[in-house]
Amino acid sequence: MREIQYHKAINEAFIEEMERDETVYLMGESLRGANYPHSEGLAKRFGDQRVLDTPICEAAFCGAAVASAMTGYRPIVDLMFIDFMYTAADEILLKAPQWRFMHGGKVNVPVVFMGAAGGGMKLANEHSQIPSSIILHSPGIKLAVPSTPYDAKGLMKTAIRDNNPVMYFWHKQLMAVTGEVPEEDYTIPFGVADVKREGTDVTVVAYSYMVQLALEVAKKLEGEISVEVVDPRTLEPFDLDAVLKSVEKTNRLVIVDEDTERCSFASELAAQVVDKGFTLLDEPIKRVCAGNYPIPGGYMEQHVLPSVEKIEAAIRSVAV
Amino acid sequence: MNDDDFVFPAVRGHGLPHLISKGVDPKYYLAEHCGKSTGSCGGVSTYHNIDTEHGFFGLAGTLGTGFPISVGYGMTSKWNGKQQVVVSCFGDGTSNRGTLHESFLMAANWKLPIVWVCENNQLSMYVPVKDHHPVENIADLAFGYGMPGEVVDGQDVVAVAKAVDKAVARARAGEGPSLIECKTERFVTHSIGLPDRIDLEDRTKDDYVELKKRDPVVLFQEKLLKEGVLTQKEMERIDQEIAVEIDAAEAFADAGSPPDPSVLDDYLYAK
Ligand SMILES: Cc1ncc(C[n+]2csc(CCOP(=O)(O)OP(=O)(O)O)c2C)c(N)n1
Repeated sequence: MREIQYHKAINEAFIEEMERDETVYLMGESLRGANYPHSEGLAKRFGDQRVLDTPICEAAFCGAAVASAMTGYRPIVDLMFIDFMYTAADEILLKAPQWRFMHGGKVNVPVVFMGAAGGGMKLANEHSQIPSSIILHSPGIKLAVPSTPYDAKGLMKTAIRDNNPVMYFWHKQLMAVTGEVPEEDYTIPFGVADVKREGTDVTVVAYSYMVQLALEVAKKLEGEISVEVVDPRTLEPFDLDAVLKSVEKTNRLVIVDEDTERCSFASELAAQVVDKGFTLLDEPIKRVCAGNYPIPGGYMEQHVLPSVEKIEAAIRSVAV
Repeated sequence: MNDDDFVFPAVRGHGLPHLISKGVDPKYYLAEHCGKSTGSCGGVSTYHNIDTEHGFFGLAGTLGTGFPISVGYGMTSKWNGKQQVVVSCFGDGTSNRGTLHESFLMAANWKLPIVWVCENNQLSMYVPVKDHHPVENIADLAFGYGMPGEVVDGQDVVAVAKAVDKAVARARAGEGPSLIECKTERFVTHSIGLPDRIDLEDRTKDDYVELKKRDPVVLFQEKLLKEGVLTQKEMERIDQEIAVEIDAAEAFADAGSPPDPSVLDDYLYAK
């Protein structure tokens, strides 16, 4: 199969969905000039009615997208760095997820919000977060977190076709990663985990860029500890069964989450596994997350973010 | 401006021009960008900068932060009896943020001593100002809030100084905020490594030649020479002094070491 880069996979999803459905359009800052390569070529192809450069008005364009979605369109809102979503918190966390519910299910809000997530580039707190927990704390919005080009394309297409608001985090460290992506149309259902590597000793649940780190560690430990890497691909909806099935086999669970540890997805999953699969566990569940600090820039970043060393140590600590 | 007058820097240059203009040694700025513990934020921030002695209480990565923060500086200035003023700088793109309007409103209502300075370099990343702002002058936003709004040639150092002086005097006299828009140009790409584009078109070498003709530093040098304020020789001496200062800043940044991880706890909560 052909291999393409992660950003190219997103770009293809846009093109195919915009061609399939003329109500789909893209809105954000400097998209026409393609400040990130996933919007390259779209303005020339679809014109300025469907690739909209907005002023730096996050609250206004996110709110507008909610209304546009309610009234017949399917906006994809690109927030550039996902950290900027805080400037439109009301629109993204209160309006998009809750409007349908608060109006008795009378309207749908099929909007996709997306942004560059994660650290590793020493850009400091306002350009490095992956705020999954904040999204998960707002029932009513789904969350897609692709770790490969294949998932990036399939999940974006599903996100665009979904009748609900979807937050889509793409990871800066994955932007140039290549992987197999079929040429023909495909989608990936939300809420279906993918076992990225099979193993028998320890289950590692990781998402987004952390999947790549987990796979690196799993490879390193080959022959010593057999690590199974489970990638949920969406955190809402979440495939708990896939995790329980894996833990049934390994009896050990490490959760890798690049978001801040306190009240994280990792914490939530740990609670769910204790609740539903307590008897499956032979060892305490370990979480490897960002430390409870703002993400610093420069050399300090590595002390806060998860790393292969920290993941390896956690795996070893349960693989007695 | 006085040493203790507040400044919120615009994002371009991460505040360097604003720091230098208040006499701050650039070595702390450079060390911060290099992630060294000798940097102005102890090396944890990459690009944020601070110098409280000179009225700089920080810089943000999310644009539009400077508006409400400056309102707070203005409240302090008004209450503490020290006759301070606030100069709050922002780009044309940053003027898009809703926080501008909320902050203009509060500052105008409370007659806060703030000078809002828009550095309009005609571009917000790849978006030309005509595509992100509906009228010719951003300075016109002032009128809705009952403050003076003035457009100046941002390439003319003296014109900018005069306009700011006037607005600072007005603020210090308790007459409230003003808005100054400096029309200027962006000489380089938005960020190193990115293409330099306006909408879909890359800027060409010829474009740069045209732009450089209106370089404010060159224009100011010509003016100083013509008016006999400085001789060519004196000008060269200044250039040499600048080169020495830059070398010293680089050496200082190189000599520093990365911070110790223990600072993470020190910086999180005050004792
Ligand atoms: C809230 C927010 N939205 C978007 C960005 C991304 N961004 C960084 S600089 C920039 C353009 C800023 O333009 P302007 O204010 O005119 O300043 P200039 O870069 O031209 O000096 C944008 C959109 C950001 N940092 N913060």
